[in-house]
Amino acid sequence: MPSAVNINWYIALSSILFTIGVLGVLLRRNAIILFMSVELMLNSANLLFVAFARHLGQLDGQVLVFFVITVAAAEVAVGLALIVAIFRTKKSINIDEINLLKG
Amino acid sequence: MNTFNLAPLILILPVIGLLLNGLFGRRFVEANPANGERLTGWLASLMTIGAFLVSLSLFLSLLAHGFEPIIVPLFNWIDIPSADFLVNWAMQVDTLSVTMMLVVTGVGSLIHIYAIGYMHGDPDFSRFFTYLNLFIFFMLILVSGSSYLVMFVGWEGVGLCSYLLISFWWARLDKNGVPANANAGRKAMIMNRIGDFGVILAMILLFWTFGTLDYQAVFSGAVEMFEANHMVAFGGLSVPLPTVLTAVTALFLLGVTGKSAQIPLYTWLPDAMAGPTPVSALIHAATMVTAGVYLLVRSNVLYEIVRTSGATILGLISTPNLVAWVGALTAFFAALIAFSQNDIKKVLAYSTVSQLGFMVAAAGSGAYVAAMFHLVTHAFFKALLFLGSGSVIHGMEHGHHHLAHAGHGATHTDDDGFDPQDMRYMGGLRRRMPTTFIVYLIGSLALAGIIPLAGFWSKDEILLHDQTYATPIFIVLAIAALGTAFYVARQLIMVFFGKPRHAAAEHAAESPALMTTPLVVLAGLTVFGGLLNLPYLTRAMAEANHNHPAGIFLMLESWLEHSLASFELAEEGILALPRTPVYLSLLVAGISTALAVGGLLLGYLVYRGRPRTSSEPDRLARTPIWWWSVLPLNSLYMKGFVPLFNRFSVWLADKVDWAFWHDFVHDRVIRDIFVTGAEFSANVLDAQGVDGVVNGAGKTTQRLARGLRLTQTGYARTYALAVLLGAVGLLVYFLFMAG
Repeated sequence: MPSAVNINWYIALSSILFTIGVLGVLLRRNAIILFMSVELMLNSANLLFVAFARHLGQLDGQVLVFFVITVAAAEVAVGLALIVAIFRTKKSINIDEINLLKG
Repeated sequence: MNTFNLAPLILILPVIGLLLNGLFGRRFVEANPANGERLTGWLASLMTIGAFLVSLSLFLSLLAHGFEPIIVPLFNWIDIPSADFLVNWAMQVDTLSVTMMLVVTGVGSLIHIYAIGYMHGDPDFSRFFTYLNLFIFFMLILVSGSSYLVMFVGWEGVGLCSYLLISFWWARLDKNGVPANANAGRKAMIMNRIGDFGVILAMILLFWTFGTLDYQAVFSGAVEMFEANHMVAFGGLSVPLPTVLTAVTALFLLGVTGKSAQIPLYTWLPDAMAGPTPVSALIHAATMVTAGVYLLVRSNVLYEIVRTSGATILGLISTPNLVAWVGALTAFFAALIAFSQNDIKKVLAYSTVSQLGFMVAAAGSGAYVAAMFHLVTHAFFKALLFLGSGSVIHGMEHGHHHLAHAGHGATHTDDDGFDPQDMRYMGGLRRRMPTTFIVYLIGSLALAGIIPLAGFWSKDEILLHDQTYATPIFIVLAIAALGTAFYVARQLIMVFFGKPRHAAAEHAAESPALMTTPLVVLAGLTVFGGLLNLPYLTRAMAEANHNHPAGIFLMLESWLEHSLASFELAEEGILALPRTPVYLSLLVAGISTALAVGGLLLGYLVYRGRPRTSSEPDRLARTPIWWWSVLPLNSLYMKGFVPLFNRFSVWLADKVDWAFWHDFVHDRVIRDIFVTGAEFSANVLDAQGVDGVVNGAGKTTQRLARGLRLTQTGYARTYALAVLLGAVGLLVYFLFMAG
């Protein structure tokens, strides 16, 4: 089945999603939003993997996506656990209030 | 048997004695005065006797080994390979040095034994014997060294011992509160220093010329260079060898005038009588003062080269002749001075000066054997006379103590002025001290030159030689011999004859056997000492004897000629040594006997029964002889040299030492340089340099850290941005630049 959609569109969409993710990480203060933005960036990368896998007719990119999803799941589990722990001590998940590493 | 390897023992034994006595002697004596004195005294004496026995074995070895000099090396003393400079400490065992060793240790042993009795009860008994052994040690270094430098070590060492022993009772003050004994020691040191200066300069000249100070190398080098008319270069200046040797021998003469108490440096010897009497006998009569004569005899080759070459000092007089004249004039003037002395030891002191003058005159006129012969016999009879005078003084002190204890003091109110050494207080002692009288008489007659005592033979040999080769010196010496007999008669009469002039003399007692036994032994030596070099009556006998193996008729002449290289050189025709074959000239012997008897007779006529009381003036006090006898050299020393020296030392102390050295050099130069340097390193180098680097490193790190801290905001997004920028950077790099 010939490809109906040009690869460039996938790249553009992926870039837009990644940029949104980056801006979300840099600009938002809520830790949950931050995690979602990180997920967005991961999935933009996943999208690109899948698009190129199809475009090149190879399965490597699709296999890698499964790994990324697995790692992302683990990451979310650890990250949410951290956020819960922080919320318990600071009663807040505002990322600007977590600045104990300030030099 | 060959015993030359034993030679170092003669130095080691006295060292053992002096170390034991120096370290433990005082404790022994304090723990048990009687036994302690016996122990330390006999220890010192036995060490000296041991050295005498070793000398005797060396003597026998030399007899068995053909008299040739043996060098016994001990160790390398000064070794500078880069400068090719090597001084060996070696001992030269030859007939001359063994003769001196025998005299030093033989007479020394007798005097040690005598001193055990004489010094009995002295609080510093052990110190005295320590010094005596130290003296023996240095004197043996002096005579046994194989080079001038080693000899000079002994030369200085005996000078030190002389100083220590003259001022042995240094704390005693005389009537005017002056520390006379300490001053006498200093005077001896200073006068000798003038002479030693000459010896040092002479040694420097010798070393410059020959590159060595070993006797044998110097003498053989001197003869070779003399035969080759060698010139000695001093920088650009080229000087003939005899001129250099004239300077050397004249400088040696200066040393001799100091050590052997000749004009003009003799003045220390009479003052040296401040020391204990055994010291006067050992050091200032028998041994140390003869070191100068030994130096002259040892350097005979140098003097004979000067004599043969005809080199003179400023065209006036050659050094051997100068030596002879110095000796003759000293003999003459010292004999005159002895006329006016009332102290029994001062008479003997001037007599020693006079007799040393005889020896020096003999050495200067080439009669080296006669000089050594007189040295040996003089050691016997002058040691005898000094020890005898010590016995007399001991007896007088005994009599004086007896008076004080017997309660006679009230009737003898002149005790304040009493001096046990003053002959005016003596008189009639021959009955109180018979043994001392007999031995003293033997010594005195030997000194006067009465046949057949030892003094006659040795003095006769000197006179015989000078009658043949130097008539003016013969005349001066003959007059001195007359004077000698005269003052001998005066002393004998004042001490032993007539009536006692003081209660102490009436109660004088004979000395203990420990003191009289050495006297008797010395008296025996004085009687038979002439056999050492008994002259032959005819030339034929002398010639016949020269064909004998030397071991049979052992005469000093055939014994010593193996050490006197100039004898052999004269026979080869290289040197023109004036040499008298040893035989008796009836003319000279007659003259000498007539002078001796005449002098004694004259003395008897003048002093018979005089002085009657201790305050009567001397019979010669109004005659010109008396005034001549007060030679101004001593007052020159006391009034000229001493104030000059004092002013010089005050100037040295105030100006050179204090103003220049302390105030200027120490306080200004050294201290200021040091303080400036210290301030520079503290304030500049340390504070600004070292601290600047260390603090700067810290401050730079801090400043850098303060800047870098700003990047650590603690906000997660800052780090996220950094990661982003990093990722973008890497991307840009790989896409556009790493191509």
